Amino acid sequence: MGSLELFSKKVKPLLTNSTTAGSAEGAAGIRKIVYYQEEILLENGTQPPVPALRATAAAVIPNPWIGTAPDKDLAEESRTVAPPIAQILTDRLIEGLGGADRIEAFGKAAIVGTAGEIEHAGALIHTPYFGNLVREFLEGSSIICFADDRAEAGQPLVVPMWHKTEAATRSHYQTITARISDGPRPDEIVVVAAASTGPRPHARIGDRTTDPAVTSRILEGASA
Amino acid sequence: MNVRKIVTLVEETLTEGGRPVEPNARVAVVAAVIENPWRGQGFVEDLTAGIDEAASRVGEVLAPRVVKALGGTVEAYGKAAIVGLDGEIEHGSALIHTLKFGDHFRNAANATTLLPAVEKRGPAGVTFDIPLKHVTDATIRSHHQSIEVRLADAPHPGEIVIALAAASQGRPQQRLAPLSTEQ
Repeated sequence: MGSLELFSKKVKPLLTNSTTAGSAEGAAGIRKIVYYQEEILLENGTQPPVPALRATAAAVIPNPWIGTAPDKDLAEESRTVAPPIAQILTDRLIEGLGGADRIEAFGKAAIVGTAGEIEHAGALIHTPYFGNLVREFLEGSSIICFADDRAEAGQPLVVPMWHKTEAATRSHYQTITARISDGPRPDEIVVVAAASTGPRPHARIGDRTTDPAVTSRILEGASA
Repeated sequence: MNVRKIVTLVEETLTEGGRPVEPNARVAVVAAVIENPWRGQGFVEDLTAGIDEAASRVGEVLAPRVVKALGGTVEAYGKAAIVGLDGEIEHGSALIHTLKFGDHFRNAANATTLLPAVEKRGPAGVTFDIPLKHVTDATIRSHHQSIEVRLADAPHPGEIVIALAAASQGRPQQRLAPLSTEQ
């Protein structure tokens, strides 16, 4: 069994300041942080040849745009709220998974509570204020794949991940399910960063370099 | 004992009721998804062999991990056994209601009390709540709490999820009078 390197006893200053009014951290107003990690020891009864840890880190925050109109410019809150969340969530992933250099795949997600707009999820995870920082902290270069949804508290969301520097690496196409039991409330947003230290348990479906040239002619009996 | 998967969950509560929780309240859960030791054997009258095979080993796997995941002193704790649909709830109880299982956690947490528990049967993805109580005095009301857990693809029908939960402190914003004030 692999070792689970989790959290140090030290509480990061970022967290202790998280409710400080006026600070960047305080702007996020995080209610809760949830870290979820899976280690697969057996898949189909056999140990994966390349073991991997998968994890999500999620923050439950107040939706800063509750009550605003659909033409409201979201940029200002994206700029102040998203960066500290990107840092806090990637800190958790790096600490839990044993270092940014061990992380091979990443993904992101947001779940908006029912009083918000789906666009509010995008404003927190689909701008450079979140994505660029997650990419930088996890030492990647790929575009980050994502899922977003609007849901009641407790609804699971499947978060996709792919390789952090070679997005087309098929062995690293994988998912992990994020769920917060009591979030998001209607006026909250759950923001998620996800990472994996390796490929799927028994990845064996080839890659672009090994694929035959398949076209719709295969439906007419062509071999490929 | 075959372990398919180990899941770690850590919840940190920074605010509750709109007020800061200082220090942040932490609750950790570590769960092992294991093969039901009595799978495919029909009704087994004497469960001793399966208990001897799995109970101590799964306790040994989980206890140090949940203490480490919490990252500090364990003040409250609890346990869970969630049996897949083909098994009996008695199978889960057999694995967790034995000192062979619980003593690993009691020793790791410097605890003395009995571990509160949930036993349940359900499909993969079933949610369950693990009750926690204080590790040395189960009457300490501030530490009565629970944490909700869900594993997306476990337990399969022939599996059992065994979990331990640990909390760093009592409930966020706990403010109930002690039990003694009502006696």
